[in-house]
Amino acid sequence: MKRTTTLISIFSGKSAFIKYCFLTGCFIFTLSGKAQQTTLTAIGNISGVPAEMKQSELKAVLMGETQRWKNGKRVVIALMKTNTPLGKTTSTKIYDMSGDELNKYWLSLVFQGKSQAPVFFTSVSELQNFVSQNPGAIGIIDKPVAISDVRSVIIDGKASF
Amino acid sequence: MLINLKTKIWLTICSIVLIYSFFTLYYFPKQQGTLLVNNYENEVQNLANTVALGVKIAINEQNFEGVQTAMEFVKGDPRLQFISMVQSDTIWNAGHDKFEIRQTVFKTFPEKEHLSPSVSSNDSLIVKKAPFATGMMSGAILLGFNTKGIEASKAKIKNTSIIVSGIVLLFGILLGFWLARNISIPVLALRDAARKVGEGDLNQKIKRIHRDEIGQLEKAFNKMIDDLDKTTSDLNEKNLVLSATNDTLNDTLVQLKTTHTQLIQSEKMASLGELTAGIAHEIQNPLNFVNNFSEVSMELITEILEEKAKSATERDEALEAELLEDISNNLEKIAHHGKRADGIVKGMLQHSRSSSGVKEPFDINALADEYLRLAYHGLRAKDKSFNADLKTNFDLAIPKIMMIPQDVGRVLLNLFTNAFYATRQKQLAIGDYKPVLEVSTRQIPNAVEIVVKDNGTGIPDAIKDKILQPFFTTKPTGEGTGLGLSLSYDIVVKEHGGTIAIDSKEGEFSIFTITLPKQQESIG
Repeated sequence: MKRTTTLISIFSGKSAFIKYCFLTGCFIFTLSGKAQQTTLTAIGNISGVPAEMKQSELKAVLMGETQRWKNGKRVVIALMKTNTPLGKTTSTKIYDMSGDELNKYWLSLVFQGKSQAPVFFTSVSELQNFVSQNPGAIGIIDKPVAISDVRSVIIDGKASF
Repeated sequence: MLINLKTKIWLTICSIVLIYSFFTLYYFPKQQGTLLVNNYENEVQNLANTVALGVKIAINEQNFEGVQTAMEFVKGDPRLQFISMVQSDTIWNAGHDKFEIRQTVFKTFPEKEHLSPSVSSNDSLIVKKAPFATGMMSGAILLGFNTKGIEASKAKIKNTSIIVSGIVLLFGILLGFWLARNISIPVLALRDAARKVGEGDLNQKIKRIHRDEIGQLEKAFNKMIDDLDKTTSDLNEKNLVLSATNDTLNDTLVQLKTTHTQLIQSEKMASLGELTAGIAHEIQNPLNFVNNFSEVSMELITEILEEKAKSATERDEALEAELLEDISNNLEKIAHHGKRADGIVKGMLQHSRSSSGVKEPFDINALADEYLRLAYHGLRAKDKSFNADLKTNFDLAIPKIMMIPQDVGRVLLNLFTNAFYATRQKQLAIGDYKPVLEVSTRQIPNAVEIVVKDNGTGIPDAIKDKILQPFFTTKPTGEGTGLGLSLSYDIVVKEHGGTIAIDSKEGEFSIFTITLPKQQESIG
């Protein structure tokens, strides 16, 4: 009873409109977040990148643990920048890191010479073009677009994840 | 301290080599080392800055290409010791009113290097720090490079310096030898040759002529020897001529001296000759007395003997006594006049002898009187027709003065003779004329004055300055030597420190005034 009274008092009065807008905005944000919990697709250059991979293999590649493909081509990772929604999703879903944490992670690897850092892009088309032009390149996008020399990589039997 | 030319050359070369070696072995390597270190530090700093910039870009723009390239470049450098990323965190206290900056090493390559964020440079390590600051992370890149490369470069520079110094030293030694050979040796040869030329050896020409200033000196030296040789030959020839002339002159001088002595002796003999007649005349008188009184005495002795031969009764003793007394008186007179003659002869002998040169006190009046009479009688002995008035005015108060009587007598004789000659010449020229010769003496302060005045022919003005010169005479050849007045001047002025003054008027008179210093007061 007391709680209800408190609630009613909060959402009444002169600032009620502002409070209602704030709540609505939060709801929409939550919905958009949920809406942006999109699927990711791995694309790779047809030269070097396998057509199918396991999730664990993908993670190992994307974490920089795998330096070369089986055919000997060097692994080149292409990602969206973490200040983009796709980049953010990629960082969270695949690396389980924030954008800054991801930067730090790759900085430490590059610093120690353990791995080549990914190439970050601001648009999917640039990313896809990069993958098509660089043998051994693998990228993470949301929706694959048909480009020559680029194919979607099946991860654990699925085209998207 | 004498430093010879070779030493100077070597000192110069050694100084230059030492200075060069100092710069080459110490200064330049030090400078180069400092420059290397500075450049190295700058390079390391630039690399650190590049990595820091790459990190900043990587963090801000997610573009790892820059930091990747920089890291590959740094890791590829063999001098790399480590590269660290240091993270700076601001740590607030619980009350959030104080904070501290905590630095931790984020990552290091190579991983095995465990470093402190405060690592710094040392002798074998250069550490440079390049800060970066981003929204996500702030910190610094620490880049550590070893100094092996620098040390190797320094060692290389040092070795090069040693080699260059060695080359310069070797070059200096060779240059020193070359300079010594080409400068010192020719100069020493010139020195030795000059010494030998100075000792009289003119066969010291330099044979090898150099093609530089030393060669010009050598040519000049050879020419000097040629000139010296020619001059010496000329001198030798002239010396021979001079020697012959000298011999001739010596012979002539000897002859002249002999002739001079002969002439002086001749003058003395002439003056002696002048005296002879006078002295003979003077001696004749006392000798006459001696002869006369001797004859008378002989007669008286004969009478005494005759008287003594008589018997005792016939003898007249009073007569004998008287005769004996007469004989005694006669003998006294004989003795007196004999002494007179003796004195006259002694005087003549004294005059004929050379002067002893010893001064003695002498009566100038007596000397003047004696020689006046001697000169007059001497002239009259030769020319009986000559008569002159002799006037004397002697100051009887004059004491004896120190003089050489023979020499002063010779002077007076010469003056008197000249005066008589002059008056005789005038007498022969003029009919009505009476020769007069006045001789006077007087005392003047510290000296005695003798004045001889005649009224003869006088002395022409043109020859007044010459009459005291040796060999000057106005007499015809053979009649005078011309040395009388010259000798008189020497005796009065040089021997006795006196003076001769001459006053004359041609055709009328001549006055010779002699002063003799008293020197030492006389006796009496």
